Amino acid sequence: MTKKEVVKMVLDGKKPPYVPWDCKFTIEALEKMKKHYGEDVDVEKLVDNHFIKLGQSSGFKIDIGNNRKKDIFGTIWDMTYEKDIGNVEGLVLPEPSMEGYQFPDPNDPILYAGMEEKIAANKDKFILYSIGFSLYERYWCLRGMENAFLDFMMYPDFCKDLLHQIADFNIAVIKNVCERYPEVDGIYFGDDWGAQKGLQMGKDIWMEFIYPEVSRMYANTRELGKYQLIHSCGDIAEIIPELIEAGVNCINPFQPEVLNVDEILPAYRGKVAFHGGLSTQKTLPYGSVEDVRRETLHLLDLGKDGSYIFCPSHATEGDTPIENIVAFIEIIKAQKK
Amino acid sequence: MNELFSQLATCIEFGKINKTAPFPPNMKDQEGSHEITLQLLNQGVSADDILQKALIVGMEKVGVKFRENKVFVPQVLMSAKAMDAAMAHLKPIFAENNTMSKGTFIIGTVEGDLHDIGKNLVAMMVEGNGYEVIDLGTDVKAETFIAAADQHPGAVLGLSALLTTTMNNMEKITKAIKEHNQEVKICIGGAPVNQEFCDRIGADSYNPDPQGVVEFLNARAS
Repeated sequence: MTKKEVVKMVLDGKKPPYVPWDCKFTIEALEKMKKHYGEDVDVEKLVDNHFIKLGQSSGFKIDIGNNRKKDIFGTIWDMTYEKDIGNVEGLVLPEPSMEGYQFPDPNDPILYAGMEEKIAANKDKFILYSIGFSLYERYWCLRGMENAFLDFMMYPDFCKDLLHQIADFNIAVIKNVCERYPEVDGIYFGDDWGAQKGLQMGKDIWMEFIYPEVSRMYANTRELGKYQLIHSCGDIAEIIPELIEAGVNCINPFQPEVLNVDEILPAYRGKVAFHGGLSTQKTLPYGSVEDVRRETLHLLDLGKDGSYIFCPSHATEGDTPIENIVAFIEIIKAQKK
Repeated sequence: MNELFSQLATCIEFGKINKTAPFPPNMKDQEGSHEITLQLLNQGVSADDILQKALIVGMEKVGVKFRENKVFVPQVLMSAKAMDAAMAHLKPIFAENNTMSKGTFIIGTVEGDLHDIGKNLVAMMVEGNGYEVIDLGTDVKAETFIAAADQHPGAVLGLSALLTTTMNNMEKITKAIKEHNQEVKICIGGAPVNQEFCDRIGADSYNPDPQGVVEFLNARAS
């Protein structure tokens, strides 16, 4: 059975032969892994992930020097501290107006660069096209986060219009991806809505502003016959029913510090899958190897009947001891032996 | 008079800035914190009474509702905007009279971390409760916190971190501040921070929400 088939079983609510996994690592964590496994280690091969992600999880960016990158929406990213995604610098839309602003072209070749080669090299894997910062996050990258929160209240019409146009852009990109690359199995939407406790904007605002547009994007993806997987950090427990209704097949990162994994996974098994679960706020950075082993084995047991894909609940950060990284990699791979 | 205090507290609680502000929709065309503060001042009410009997009352309600997940970041920001509109009239009076605030709170996001929403929410809530707030911004080094604390004896420090990777810096900064002056009180907060971490690094107070910081400061001020 190929990795693609195992992942599809999970997303279809069936019991897989083992719990599949897809684990990512930050640049700093990768450096630790190179020191441990050797400079020439192929981490993808070592970890033996089940997904291959095309597209970009945090936007298409070009280097503009001085430790800065610019994405196709015009947002400048300071890469000084956060080297994987960066931190937004300045505002693209300082006023609640799109006058003079030009949306990127959904036919820009940068959006599809290198896809044929990656697909050809990973045919046994579940192939995802990643649209990072897919709605609300794209909005606040353009307007600034405080402005975004205030726009919900002060400029609701502008806010809905901009969110609608962001969704339109994504829908056009997804259409292109599906038409040009039929091998793609699913779309991976990233958009952080959660806080440590509840949604950042609260459910009422999420329902009024975010839900109509994600529903539209997800309906489009389903019509094109693709699976849809989403990523939202934080406590999003209260909107899981709405996400299922909108056709979501899998939810990442399933943070154990804010979501009760032992209750949520069995409660929704068969309706939606979860991808994540291993604590990156506590166990990985601060726990012992034994703690990591115990939590990993518990998650694999919890997910053995389906609806679960293992990974740390975020790209593994550089503050994780290498012994803890080695521990969970060994356990997940041992499932197939 | 009491009616105006109550109206002003309501404006703060629900984020009504001025008469033309569209939010909240159910207070459309009603006067906001800007107009009502001016009315109170014109009637000879002292700035301190306006702060104590209306603004702080409204902000405290918002803080409690935020803690209880009854309102969220957007509503808190609107309340802060309404507070700013009122304080724009009161601050010159406080400055002229050299009126003492309840105390000074120095806040910053620790070195290596550029996240500021949580820090800003705490700063707004603390200021809205009658304290002078000195915001050192993000990516703040230990020496900057120490210099600010030296300049403002008796001030409480607030350290924020969103990432597990920058919690290490929170620990280093806390220890450096305490080594310099054991008497300085330090509050810490941020998504991955908890009481256990607070105890381990020797900080004085951990709070999962801004109202907790206000209550810590109020307990010290009383």
